[in-house]
Amino acid sequence: MNIEINQVIKKYDNKTILDKLSINIPDKQIIAFLGPSGSGKSTLLRLIAGLEDFESGEICLNEKSIHAKETDMEAYRKAIGFVFQDHNLFNHLTVFENIALVLEKVHKRKREIFTGEIHALLKTFELYDHKDKYPHQLSGGQSQRVSIVRALSIQPQLILLDEPTSSLDPVLTYDVLNAVKQLAVESKDFIIVTHEIGFAKNIADYVVFMDEGQIIEHGPRTILDHPQTETFKNFLSKVLPFN
Amino acid sequence: MKKILSFLAALVLYFLFFYFVVAQSNINNLDFEPYWRFRKVILTGWLNTIMISTISILLSLVVGLILYAMKESRLKIFNYMAEIHQTIIFGTPLLVIAIVSFYYIGNAFGIDSPVATGCITLALYIGAYIADIYKGAIEGIHTNQWQGAKMFGFTTYQTYRYIIFPQIIKSILPPLAGQFALTIKGSALLAYMATNELLNAVSNIQASSFRITEGFIIIILGYWIITIPLISLVRRLENKTNYRT
Repeated sequence: MNIEINQVIKKYDNKTILDKLSINIPDKQIIAFLGPSGSGKSTLLRLIAGLEDFESGEICLNEKSIHAKETDMEAYRKAIGFVFQDHNLFNHLTVFENIALVLEKVHKRKREIFTGEIHALLKTFELYDHKDKYPHQLSGGQSQRVSIVRALSIQPQLILLDEPTSSLDPVLTYDVLNAVKQLAVESKDFIIVTHEIGFAKNIADYVVFMDEGQIIEHGPRTILDHPQTETFKNFLSKVLPFN
Repeated sequence: MKKILSFLAALVLYFLFFYFVVAQSNINNLDFEPYWRFRKVILTGWLNTIMISTISILLSLVVGLILYAMKESRLKIFNYMAEIHQTIIFGTPLLVIAIVSFYYIGNAFGIDSPVATGCITLALYIGAYIADIYKGAIEGIHTNQWQGAKMFGFTTYQTYRYIIFPQIIKSILPPLAGQFALTIKGSALLAYMATNELLNAVSNIQASSFRITEGFIIIILGYWIITIPLISLVRRLENKTNYRT
């Protein structure tokens, strides 16, 4: 995928979150955004997803500008798989219905056709036995895997993940990241906002480090071994010992 | 078993209270004969109360929804219209509203059926409260549910229909039950519009038979037969839709 971000400014209540952000990432499959909390990386992901509007600038995904009319954005968002930080499963629906509702109501697909597909996906992610449970009956890792299955069920080419492992313990983190790794083999495109340096090191094609609404460093994953700026060095020295 | 005993004990205490009140009022020889003679009139009045209340409740759910939509609308004029409506309703006794709407507003629009005026008035009155019940419950829905719906491409209608409303039903049931009970009780005020509902039917018999106390007993029981099952039904529903968020 190609991403081009040009002079993007995003504010919340007059507080500047992204300050004239620009970057050009051509032809990459897995892009990881790293940075401390409040660096603006999750905000940037939501802008790329078309979930929020921004003040000025331009974001292009595969040469298509996504700073467009809301009616166009609906179709754009529908085609993207998004895994939220706190999974955002619908509380009143079972695991199966969480996925089925999206396919049936938004994508107008027939239940008898997609039921088998969902079951197969749930089996792959070891969730089949939990298909009739409600979100509150699932562990954090299970919820996050359901969220991934839901994102995959619409068969998107691009999947965005917003700190998918931030609320998980190490074993579950491993499970979720392993799932993403498997999908990468299927040549889907990923943009992932993460704290897992090890994960970024392992599978990301391209790493972007952000701090205070700015891009500090970016490049292939080898930049993780040779940080150039003090901020990035500092960040890595604090995070790496625990990774 | 212990629960039943406690309930019965509480019931006995209330019974003793009312017994004391009745004993102090020197009422003897309760005579329900005139009411028995006009039982058909009372039954018709009671059924009318149920009919008026049911229609008003259903209408008020819609009125509440419209007012909520107006409050949330991007068009400021709708925001203010909803606000003015609510301010008038919240600031005026239902009795006054009932009289004004029957003798003036109903008259101005040529609606001479007291039942129709009554139902519309009650719906507009209760709807003002229901709009706030909807608003409170909808605001209680976590932002991640809205964001999830937006991301997956649900339209506004679909978001409310499939994601938001199923989740607020549980939290709006108890306050709605309160409003429903209020509607049923409020329908009594339609007696002032000469509507043939329970209160009016019994009042007429009271006036002609001078059997006042008996009339009040019948009125109270007539309302309890409707409201108490309603309240317990809603309590049961609350438990049924009990999922955690």
